[in-house]
Order: sequence, then C-alpha cells, then structure tokens
Amino acid sequence: MTVRPVITRDQGSEDRDQGASPELSPLTADLSRRRFLTVLGVAGAGSAALSGCSTAKVEKLIPYLVQSEDQVPGIPTWYASTCTECSAGCGVHVKTREARAIKLEGNPEHPVNAGTLCQRGQAALQGLYNPGRIKGPLQKQRGAFQSLLWDEAIGRLAQQFQNARGKVAVISGAGPGSFDDLLAAWTQAQGGRLIRYQPFDRAPERAANLRVFGLDELPLYDFATARYIVSFGADFLETWGPVIEQQRGFAQSHGFNGKSMARHVYAGPRMDLTAMNADEWHPLLPGSEASLALGMAGVILGERTTAPQDANALAASLAAYTPEKVAQDTGLTPDAIRKLAREFVSAAPSLAVAGGIGAQHRGAVDLCAAVAILNYVAGNVGQTVRFGAGLPKPDGYAAMQQLIAAMNAGEVTAVLVHDANPLYALPRSARFAEAFAKLPFKASTSLFLDETAAACDLLLPAHHALERWDDLRPRAGVLGLMQPVMTPVFDTLAPGDVLLRAAQKTPDLKAQFPAPSFEAHLKQKWAELARSRGAADTEQFWRDALQHGGIFNGAVATPPAVRLVPTVPTVLTAPSFDGDGELILLPVPSSMYFDGRGANRPWLLENPDPVTKITWGSWAELNPETARRLDVREGEIIRVTSPHGSIDVPVYVYPGVRPDVVAIPLGLGHTEFGEYAKGLGVNPLDLLGAGSVEGFLPYVATRVSIATTLGFHKLAKTEGNPRQLGRHIAEAMPLAHAEQGYTVEESLKQVGEEEHAVNTAREAEAIAGFRASQVEKTKLGAYAEELPKWGMVIDLAKCTGCSACVTACYAENNIPWVGYDNVTRGREMSWMRIERYFEGGVEPGEPFAARVVPMLCQHCDNAPCEPVCPVYAAYHTADGLNGQVYNRCVGTRYCSNNCPYKVRYFNWFPFAKRAFQAPLDLQLNPDVTVRARGVMEKCTFCVQRIRGAQHQARLEDRPLADGDVRTACQQACPSGAIVFGNVKDPESRVVRAAEDHREYHVLGELNVRPSVTYLAKVQA
Amino acid sequence: MTALAHEPHRPTQTHAEVTRDILGTLKTPSRGYYLALFGAVAMFLVGLFTFTMLLKEGLGLAGYTPPVMWSVYITTFVFWIGIGHAGTLISAILFLFRSPWRTAVYRSTEAMTVFAVMTAALFPIIHIGRQWIFYWLLPYPNARFLWPNFKSPLLWDVFAITTYFTVSTTFLIVGLIPDVAAIRDKVSGWRHTIYKLAALGWTGANSQWRHYTRGYLYLAALATPLVLSVHSVVSWDFAMSIIPGWHGTIFAPYFVAGAIYSGIGMVLTLLIPLRKVLHLEHMITDYHFDNLGKLTLLTGSILFYAYAMEYFVAWYSGNIFEQTTFWRRAFGPMWWAGWSMIICNAFVSQLLWFRKIRTNLTSLFIISLFINLGMWFERFVIIASSLSNDYDPYAWSNPAITWADWGILIGSFGWFLMYFLLFARTFPVVAIQEIKEMIPYPRKHTGGH
Amino acid sequence: MRKLVVVGTILSAAALVVLLPVLRSGSAQQPPALADSLAAPRLSVADSGSLRGPRQPIFFRHDIHAGQYKMQCQYCHYSVGASSEPGIPTLQTCMGCHTVIGGTDSTHRAEIKKLRQFWSDSADASKPKLEWVRIHSLARFAHFPHMRHVKAMGPNACQTCHGDVARMAQVFKVNNVNNMGFCISCHLTRKVNRDCTACHY
Repeated sequence: MTVRPVITRDQGSEDRDQGASPELSPLTADLSRRRFLTVLGVAGAGSAALSGCSTAKVEKLIPYLVQSEDQVPGIPTWYASTCTECSAGCGVHVKTREARAIKLEGNPEHPVNAGTLCQRGQAALQGLYNPGRIKGPLQKQRGAFQSLLWDEAIGRLAQQFQNARGKVAVISGAGPGSFDDLLAAWTQAQGGRLIRYQPFDRAPERAANLRVFGLDELPLYDFATARYIVSFGADFLETWGPVIEQQRGFAQSHGFNGKSMARHVYAGPRMDLTAMNADEWHPLLPGSEASLALGMAGVILGERTTAPQDANALAASLAAYTPEKVAQDTGLTPDAIRKLAREFVSAAPSLAVAGGIGAQHRGAVDLCAAVAILNYVAGNVGQTVRFGAGLPKPDGYAAMQQLIAAMNAGEVTAVLVHDANPLYALPRSARFAEAFAKLPFKASTSLFLDETAAACDLLLPAHHALERWDDLRPRAGVLGLMQPVMTPVFDTLAPGDVLLRAAQKTPDLKAQFPAPSFEAHLKQKWAELARSRGAADTEQFWRDALQHGGIFNGAVATPPAVRLVPTVPTVLTAPSFDGDGELILLPVPSSMYFDGRGANRPWLLENPDPVTKITWGSWAELNPETARRLDVREGEIIRVTSPHGSIDVPVYVYPGVRPDVVAIPLGLGHTEFGEYAKGLGVNPLDLLGAGSVEGFLPYVATRVSIATTLGFHKLAKTEGNPRQLGRHIAEAMPLAHAEQGYTVEESLKQVGEEEHAVNTAREAEAIAGFRASQVEKTKLGAYAEELPKWGMVIDLAKCTGCSACVTACYAENNIPWVGYDNVTRGREMSWMRIERYFEGGVEPGEPFAARVVPMLCQHCDNAPCEPVCPVYAAYHTADGLNGQVYNRCVGTRYCSNNCPYKVRYFNWFPFAKRAFQAPLDLQLNPDVTVRARGVMEKCTFCVQRIRGAQHQARLEDRPLADGDVRTACQQACPSGAIVFGNVKDPESRVVRAAEDHREYHVLGELNVRPSVTYLAKVQA
Repeated sequence: MTALAHEPHRPTQTHAEVTRDILGTLKTPSRGYYLALFGAVAMFLVGLFTFTMLLKEGLGLAGYTPPVMWSVYITTFVFWIGIGHAGTLISAILFLFRSPWRTAVYRSTEAMTVFAVMTAALFPIIHIGRQWIFYWLLPYPNARFLWPNFKSPLLWDVFAITTYFTVSTTFLIVGLIPDVAAIRDKVSGWRHTIYKLAALGWTGANSQWRHYTRGYLYLAALATPLVLSVHSVVSWDFAMSIIPGWHGTIFAPYFVAGAIYSGIGMVLTLLIPLRKVLHLEHMITDYHFDNLGKLTLLTGSILFYAYAMEYFVAWYSGNIFEQTTFWRRAFGPMWWAGWSMIICNAFVSQLLWFRKIRTNLTSLFIISLFINLGMWFERFVIIASSLSNDYDPYAWSNPAITWADWGILIGSFGWFLMYFLLFARTFPVVAIQEIKEMIPYPRKHTGGH
Repeated sequence: MRKLVVVGTILSAAALVVLLPVLRSGSAQQPPALADSLAAPRLSVADSGSLRGPRQPIFFRHDIHAGQYKMQCQYCHYSVGASSEPGIPTLQTCMGCHTVIGGTDSTHRAEIKKLRQFWSDSADASKPKLEWVRIHSLARFAHFPHMRHVKAMGPNACQTCHGDVARMAQVFKVNNVNNMGFCISCHLTRKVNRDCTACHY
C-alpha cells in the first residue's frame, strides 16, 4: 500500500514553494486544490457525508494541470520527514492523499523512534492545519496587525536589523541543523547574539556531569539493557529526554519477556506516569533524593562491589551518607536503602536517572551529580550511560536573563524570535515582557499568534515543518531531513528563505549569503556532506537521504573515556524555597502540552492526562490528607499564592502526591495562542521566582499557601470511578508468579483471592451448546467462506499508558473532539481510551499504585450490541469484525447500553462540523466516513486499513500476509504493546503473542468472547 | 373479584334522567374547562418547541451522560404505555368478568388508554438520533434488500405498540356507537350530521343489539391478552439486555403489575376531578373508588414484592455487578430517585388497606398523585440508574436532567390531556346504555327509548 | 424544521426507489441523435443543450474519442485500474494530442480552441479554470474501489455502471450509483461479497 517515491518536485509545485510570488499566491492555489479535493469526493464535509442524497448539488471536477508522478488520486503517497515537536528529532513518514498530509507515522528506519510516534508527534498535523495559524506576513500599526506583502515584510526586517547593527538578538528554538547554522552565521553577520532557547532545558544534568566527569554534555541512557532502573524524579516516559526511545527501551527491559524483567524504582514527590509504571515508588521530599543517591553509592562502595578503582577516592566523602543519615533525610528505613543499593548494584547493568522539570529544585545539580556518582560507582557509565551522544546544548535560562538585562540596558534594540515563545515560557517575574515591550523592533517567525508574536511589530509566519525544506541533527550520527509534503496551507515562507532574502536586501551581506533559496542552500550543504562522505554521486546521495528521511549511520564520535574528576564535591545543601507557604509548589511537565506548545491542539487537549484523566483545563493536585485539612473537594477552586503571584485553580484530590506538595501541570494558561489555548487553564510559572541557580531556572523552588474560594469548576475527567471494585479489568501478577508460568486465575488464588466458579456445570453445558449453534450459523452464506478472523493482543506489561495510541486513533479515524462541556457529560468520542485504575492508598501507609488498560471495541464473537440493533447497523462481519454501518444507524443507542465495555460513542451534536472547521478538515482521512450527528460510532479495528490491504493483495493476486494490516494504535505504540492480525493463521504474530500464560479477557465471564486478548501486567 | 362480594351499586335515576345527565356533560362547558384545555395546549406547545430544537441541534440537548444513553424519554415512554393498561384492564377484563362496578368508569379509562398509547407512540421517534428516518424501524420492501432485525426487542416494541393502539382504538369506537346514536337523536344542526356519521346508522334494533353485544364481547376477548403481552414486550426492552438491573426474569410480570398500578393511579387522578366537573357524583360513587382502591392495593403489593425480590436476587446471586447496581440504587448518587420509587409505590399503596382512605376522595387523589410520581421514578431508576453504573467502573457517570428533558415530559402530558379533555366534551365519558342496563326493573318502562 | 422537509423528501425518495426499475428502463434509451453505428454524428455545441446530460464547459465527445477512435477508457482515466479513484485526465493529457490535432470541422475546432485557451491560461490564477460538471458522485459513506471492479470484470467493465459511453455525444447518467439496490443486485447475480463493511466504513 505504501509507495515511497524518490521525490522530484514538478514544475507546478516548484513555483508554489517560493510562496511570495504574487502571480501564484499559495492561498489561491490552496483554494483550488481544496475544491479539487472536495470534488474527488474525498474530503468528507461534516454531516454532509451522511445525508443520503449527495447527488443533489452540482459538483465540479477540476482536473490536474500536470500529472505529478508521485500523486495518484485515491492512492496515498508517503514522504519521509522529521518531527520537530520536541528536540528528540524522531523520523516520520507523512501519509498524503491528493496532495495533503493526512497522517503522521513513525519512520521504521529511524534510530530514535523506530517506526512509532507519540501523541505530540501525531498532533503535529493539527499544528499544520491549525485555524490559529498566521495567514500571511503582518505588521503592527497603531496596535493592530495589518497584512503586507512578503517583499515589504522582509525588506522591513532587513532595514531594521541593518539600523540596529550590533544591537541585534535572535531567540531560536530550532534544533541543530543547517538552518541553525545559517541562523548563527546570519546573526553573527548582523553583529548580533543568538540565543538557542529551550524551556525544558536539561542544564542541571550538564552542570552535574561537568562537576563529576568534567564533561559538559548529556549522555544517552540505555533503558533497553538496564536490569534495574532507579529514577530520581526524572519523568523519562513523559517529557524528559528522547521519550519514545526511552519508552521503547523501558518496554524492552521492564516488559515481561517470558523469563524475567527489569525492576523499576521511582523516587519523587509525585506519582507521575513514569512512577505509575514503577514497581516501587518512594514519595521523597523534593531535595532529599540526592541524599538517597549518595547513600546508595556509599553502601555500594562500602561493600566493595564492582566499583571502578578511582571511585575509592569518594569513599571518605560518601561515608558521611550512612543509610541511617539518609534515612533521616528521606524517611526510608536504613534497611530499605541498603536493599535498594544491593539490588541496584547486583542487577548489572543497572541505571539511575535524574533531572526533569519535576525535580528541578535549587539542588538539582547536586542531585544529578549524586546520581552520576551512583551510576559511576555501580559501573553503569559506559554501559547504560553513554557519553559522546552529541545531544544539543541550548543556551539555557542564564542566557535569557542576560538578554533581558541587555534589552533593559538598551544593548539590544532589535529582536527576531524563531520557534520560541519566551513571553509564555519564562516566569512572569523574569519581567521579559516588559523588557521586550521596550524594544523598538521585534519580529517573529512564529506559525501561530502566540504571546510573543502578539507582542511583536512584524510577523513573518514560517512554513510548518511539513511545508518546508530543512534538516535536523538531534544527536551524533543522526541527520534527519525535512521536505515539503504539500503546498503551504497559508501564505507563509520558510524561515531560511526569510533570512536569505533579508540578506539579499542588506548590501553588505549579499555576498556572504548568495543562495537563491534555502532549498538550494540545503542541497549545497548536503552536497558538501556527500563529498565529505566520499559519495560519488551527490545527487544520488541526496535522493537516498530524502527517501529514507535522512542518514542514520553517521560517524559517532568514539565515547570519551569517562573518569571522575579528582575531587568530586559531595556536600549536599538542602535546596531552599521562596516564601513560607505550607505547601511546596510542584510544576508538573505535561506529556500532552509539553512546554506549552501543545496547548493549541484539540487532539492533545482532549487526550486525557495519563495520570489524572483530566482534559481541557488545569488542576491542582492535593493529597487527600491535605484536602481534608483544607476542607476542599474535587473541583473546588483554590487560590494558590506564592511570593511572586497567585492563581486560582480547581482541586484534584490525588493520593499519588505528597501531603506537603501541591502539583499543577505546566503548559496551559495562555493569554494568546489561538482560540483553543487562549484563556484555558492557568500557568504555574506565574508563581515562580526569576532567580536562576547555576544557569538554570529552578522550577521547584516555591512554597505556596492555599486559600479556599467559593468558586467551583467541574473537572472534565473522562473517568467515572477510579477503582476496579474487584472486577478484574486490569489484571496484574507478581514477577514470582509470572516466572512460574501461572495463569491469572492461579496467581489470584496464590494471593488469596477466593475462587469463584463463573458458571455451574449446567450453565457451562448450556453455553457450550449455544456456542455450538453459533458455530453452525457461521457455516451459512458469506460466513462459510475461508476468511481471516481479526484479533488483537495487548500486553499490559509493556503498556505504560502514554496515550499515543489515542491520538493516533483520532488522526486515523476522523474522530471529532467534543470540547469541555461535552467531556464533562462523558460524551468524549475516543474510540481508544486508556483506563487508569488506582490500587491501594486508601488507608494511610497502604502502598499506592496504579494500573492502566487500553479499552477499545473488543469485537466480541458473541457481541451483545449486535442482536439489539433494530436495523442491523451493528452486525457481525464474516471476517469476525463487529461492524458498525454509520449510514444505516438510526441512533436508538441500545447497542451502547448493552455494551459491557462501553466503547460505543454517540454523536449527540454535529461534532464533526466544529471539530473539522477549515482548514482542519484538510486532515480528514478520505478512507473513513465522517460521522453525522445522531449515529453511533466505535473502533472498527481500522477496517479501512484491512480493506485497503485486501484490495492491494487482490490486485497483486497474492493472499494477505501477516503484518499487511497494522492498526493505527498498534503502529503508534512506542512500547510495541499492541499486536494485531489474523487469529485463524496459526503462524501469525497475534496468535503467537496470545499463547501466553498471562492471557485473559476483560469481563470474560460474560461469555461475550472478545477478540481482544490482554496479557496481565507483571510487577517486579 | 372482591367487587362482587357485596351488593353492587345501582343507579337511582330513570333512563331519561341517565341520558339527560350524561348528555349534560356535553353542554357548553364551564370556564374551568377552557382554562384546563388552554393549559394542556400550552404544555403541548412547549413539547413541540423542544422537539423542534432536538431536530435542529441534536439529542445532546437532553441530559444524556454516557453510558446513560437512555434517560427521561424512554422513562416517559414506558410511563405512558403503562398508563394505558389500567384502561384495558377495566374495560375489557372486568367486562369479561362481568364486574358491575366497571360500568360507570370504563369509558373514560378506555379513552385514557387510547390517548396514553398515542402519547407513548411518539417517544420511539423522539428519542432516536436521526428522527427523520424513524421509518427504517418498520419492515417495508426497499431496493436495498434490507429488513429490520427481528431479533431486536426494540422492533418487538414497535409491533406491540401499533397492535395495542389499533385494538384499543377499535374497542373504544365500537363501545361508543350506541351512545353516539343517543346523542345523534338529541342534537341538531351540523352536530347532528357528524354524530350521524359516527353512529354508523345505529337504530338500536334488536338484531343490531344482538350482533353488537357479541362483537363487543369478542373485541374484549381480543384486547384482554394485550394487557399482559404489551407491557411484557416493553419489559423485554430491558430484560433482554445484559445490564445489571435490567437483566431480570421477573421483569414481565413486574412491569405488567406496575403498569396496571400506574394506570389506575392515572384513572383516579383523572376521574376524581372529572366527576366533580361533570357532576357525575351519583354515577361514579364511593363504591367505584373503593374497588379501584382495592385494585391499586393489590397491584401495589405485587410491586412491593417485586422490589423486595430484586434486592433479594441481587444479594442471593452473589454477582458483584448486580450487587453494586442495587446497592447504588439505594445508597448511590441517585438514592433520591431510588427511595421516591420505593416510598411512593411500595409504602404509600399500603395505606389503602384502610377503607376510610380508600373512600375518601381527597386522600385517594393525593395517593394517586404519589402513584404517578412513584411509577415515573420507578422507570427512571430502572433505566438511568442501572445504566449509570454497569460493568466498567471507569465509564460510570451520573445522569443529568436538562430543560430538553422537561420540555418533552411536559409536552407529553399536554398532548395527552388535550385529547382527553376534547374527548370528554365530544363523547359521553360514562357509557349511557350500560348504565341503563343496570337500572332495576320497576323503573324501566318509564322514559328511555 | 429543515429536517421535516428532509423527512418528506426521503419518504418520497423511498417510494421512488421502489419504482426505480421502471424508471431505469425508461432512462436507458439513447438520445435520438445517435444511430446504431459508432460513426459519431456531427453536432455543434448548440446541440449539446438538447442532448441528455449536463452541458460541459467543453463539448467533449466521448462518442468520438471512445467510440469512433476506440481509445481505451484507461488512457484518460488513468488510475482506474490501480486506485479507488478513476482519475480525471490532466489538461496535459488532452494537449498531448490536441497540440497537433486541431479538429476536422468548425464545431470541433471551436471546442479544441477552448481547451487550448484553458491550457495557456493555466499559469494565471486569475483566469477561470476548466471545471467539468460531475455526473457520477457516490455518497461519501460508500467506498467504491474502481480497481477491484476493473480487475474482476476487465477493462470494459466501465459501461456496466456508466452505460455505453462510447455512444454518448454528451455523457449522461444511466444508473443512479447511489441506489444501493443497483449495487446489491449485481453482487447478488455475481455471487460476490455482500458484507456491509465491504463498502460502508
């Protein structure tokens, strides 16, 4: 099905790429293309898609002018590109239909994400088609933005920068790559300073590595081979580091492989998604983790295990951190600490990680240093901790502080902001906005009208990453390429072209930047690269790279010999906190909104937070104890006040957070940034102080006081009841049992669960008879044919609950988002949902844990929804699917009532009309009907992909092979927890996966015979 | 029947008086009547407006909170279907039992049945997602070669309702013929022409009477099984599913009893005021209400037993799903609905053990209001509460009721009352000829026709 | 209230559907202009108004291209064998021949001139684009894989649904492709898949 052509841009699109040319403004080109699409009958428009008589209106067919060889109507064209939603630099394959991108999937060849893609990557499409995008160049006149021509805009930029020579600054969030190089050279030539700014910076780790190893860099952590993982507040499954890669590795080591699995211990004040996946969670007070790390190191060293020789130098200083002393700091028992240390060192190779926003208190460097020492002492450095990765080094918070000072001092008068939103991402107390406002000239290349762009004088909206040529060097040896997969949606321009054309308009820079376009510039750079790689045919080299999405076999610098610096300071100073409030403020990095850039994507806003299951808004997590003390309940609005500010936010009572901590997610509370983000939620950064420590911003550095208000705001949770109530929906078994090969029942019996025979002998007999009669029925008509039977296996030992599959499902199946009001009424449409159940934590002292289980249509063989439908809209297909015929559905909703899994979703309103307002409708998948209001919908096992694969196989006169069909959720899952295939084929992966003693069916006792098999979670 | 235990009530007037009194109900009505009618129409318009909004905006206007995919509309549907049953019971079954006390009341109850079913029949259309293709629920030949799914209880429902409507309407009309003829003879002008047509050329000839009584008997026999079958089918809308709280074997008898109970509740609610407004005190007397009261007591007690049984079975089955559902029914977020149902139906009906209360119209009227309320809540609890907490705790929710729910609910009452009031003005609400039959011999020869 | 109207239309539509076989037999007859031979008659654009089917911006003669010159449908509808979409010929395809072929008589030359005009104007966004009037438009909730049908029934399968286009001076609708009965009856007679999700998903 997937054609991956060597891309050759035909004449027509060549023109369009230089967006500025007035003869063919992309806007009009885009319009005509859009009309062309509609007439092909592929852009399903709202409920029109279901109004029975679509022939009534006169439709027009606009033929292509010239047939581009890589676009055949009705057949998807795939382009390889690189994701820019975070700095990990994953490779993506962009699925385009009729010249517009409709789906992003991971690039299997890419070393970082190996064919999978997280929810933020999936949602990049909603950035591309976001209605909040700036439609063309704008300049501010008398406080209002006026549009102007690109030529004028660029002229203005060049002019202003020329005037401000030497007082120029550029803030860029772009990762390392040809554009970054060009930007650096350009800024230099302007005599300006370039600040590479990433809000979620890992400065403390670099500082620590410098302190401990003398290396100012970040290592790559190998979770795949680690046998014992201890995380000191590093949310490596959410926002810290290359998340997909880490999750893949984690699933590999921590997922039960039939024999054993790694153990994962999490030490941090809050149970985030990463901690939810830990086998052991120690809610430590922020700041005390370092002590634990050193204590463990001390024990290891004291017991003279595999520690490297030069580590002995530490023995003396570490001796201070006896388990007893550490016990005082952390509240763990000395034995627990010894046990941890021994397990950690004995399970070589092990891995300890620290960092992340959630642990970025004033002692963060000490913490990271302590963990570095622990890793070194345990002999992990070089094993699971690999230096020389060449990960990007942004300039960090200190540089921004200097810039602010410079702006105030008038040393900077003209600023260009690219791919960054400092006005939002910096604490208000840093007074960036005020300094920024003072500047005579501020320009931005932002795609969206975010806080910073709104404050600018000149807007030069950039192409989206899917609309432009570019490349990215996320790490040593990986060069990802980006290419335009479609004509620009709006009248935007590649930022590289802005720079080059500005240079052309600056007399003394003309010579230095001769490239006619950034594309030409890029190709030239790659030609040089090709020659440096000794490639004979540079053009061929380029095409290969383009086809594979880059080159991933690049020479990696040989890992440096890592040695401890002679005198490693191991003195810990307990981190201080501003203010004297009773609670410590814990700003939580959100795996949906990231540093705030995700807040304008409905897919991410409606994809519930993996931990709290809250959508469309902010919340403040309070421990039940604290909530009781303050006498507040869920949804009551509290006023959180710090010395630097105060915010009003509704309460979420959560046993997974320390009683002396209040946790508030980052990323919301925008004052601009489009209709979806503006005014939604609160921004905890407003509570932070601006002071930096060793060049980074300490996020966890404030004590806050809580005041109750009279306000109430219902949280839009997608969850009804957080407890399983003994219903065995999310099963789990201890590792000991898994090693024994116990089934779920046996395991439950072991832990004293009383055995309950689901059916009496007579009942069983009756059921068997019923089953037999059903089997007889399957010998009738079409059901008798030799057809596959589709089934799925979900391994809960691998599933982390990251929710990437949810967004992938939204993207593939044209699922409309419904917004806050409807979610509060439980009307969200997520065909695939991650159910999160809490375990324990009720009585004080009882260990608290959580389990997740992806819930989707189980495609029951004996489906309760089918017989009750009066019109056969729900029925069983011959290939074992639980079919749902939208256009036949009259909407009695009995099927949903009768579904024990509650995976059927009803269109209460014309949801699609609002969800796919232009230009978001360009993302719609032409192979999936857009559901009108009043009809029921649900997971179809991606039937469009099944049918597509069957068509292809038929055209090629071959039988369907295992793996021809991959569902969207399976494709996206970074853990590889989902397997899909034909259960009639004994050789298929799905059958082999299901042959596992952990296998069980959710609510199996109902005898509905689900086609989805779950493998019980294993707790090490 | 308990009704036969003691001396049945006999009318004290002559034939002439009977005709006069009953036709008196058709005279130009009082101000009160017009006010009532105006109110009814206004309520109906509220409903019409709401329905228009549902068509325009979508079902989301109603307070559905998935997994509660059925709520107030289906509740009200079952409520109205239930109302109908008392009518058929009294007019058909008691007719076959030759129970004398039905005579004075059966006409109005029969009318109530027809209008209640007319009301209920609207809901299968109102509550579906795409009301404009409701006809897909009917089996009709089409080019798509598609038929409805005869396995679906919802389809059985469609058949049950249409059958019930047809039969009870015929039954009512046939029962009216002699009375219409009587009116025909009394009125003049355009009214005369209309009633003439409606009377189907009734002359009261001996042969006509002979065939008529036979035919009426057979119709009664035909209507009788419907009292049991229709609401059994309705109950299977729920019992055939696998939802805890729906999936019960006792549902058919449980629902039938409930239906008759609620029906008689409505009969009382309508009859007590009607008797006053139309001055029928000497035709509909304590004697009738006493018997209605006893019937209420009987069915109410059956309900009491059914409730008890539901809880017992839930406990005895050891099935955690059942147990949770019923625990939450009483102590969950919807406890208020659960208890109103139990108190209004199970407990209040027990007051009728006392003759004083049975024969005191005020208390009886108040009780009847409780019954209507309680039975509406019974359906609401069974439907909404059971759906709100079934197998998958993660999906649980709490039902809500919005203006759109109220609008349709009010509208349905308006629609029903509108027809009932119009009927009471146009046709005798007490069967003339059957009253006459009961007049003792000595006074027979004076007057009459 | 719009919906109520819709109800009405649908109801009447349902009635029509039942009568459809009759109507179809009525609609199938060819325009009088065409004899039984493949020799396409001379028609000027003026006649196109009187011919059945919608009038097109260019009076393109299927009867000449597909009939007289026996060009394969796939020559212009290039993706029909590989894709669910049959594909509309690009202007380039037309010009491939018509840069050379100018037409035999005045009426033809007039139409070809229009084509060349569109081609030369194509670079200019302000100039009108060539917009064919669509004749067959399948409801969006039904998926019709052209390639499967061509694969199964051969390259000349087109006319089973689209009628004998080779004899149509101006293409008109022969079968209502949105009448599911039309699809089903064919699938019945050929004993092929009648699963709902074969087309509806």
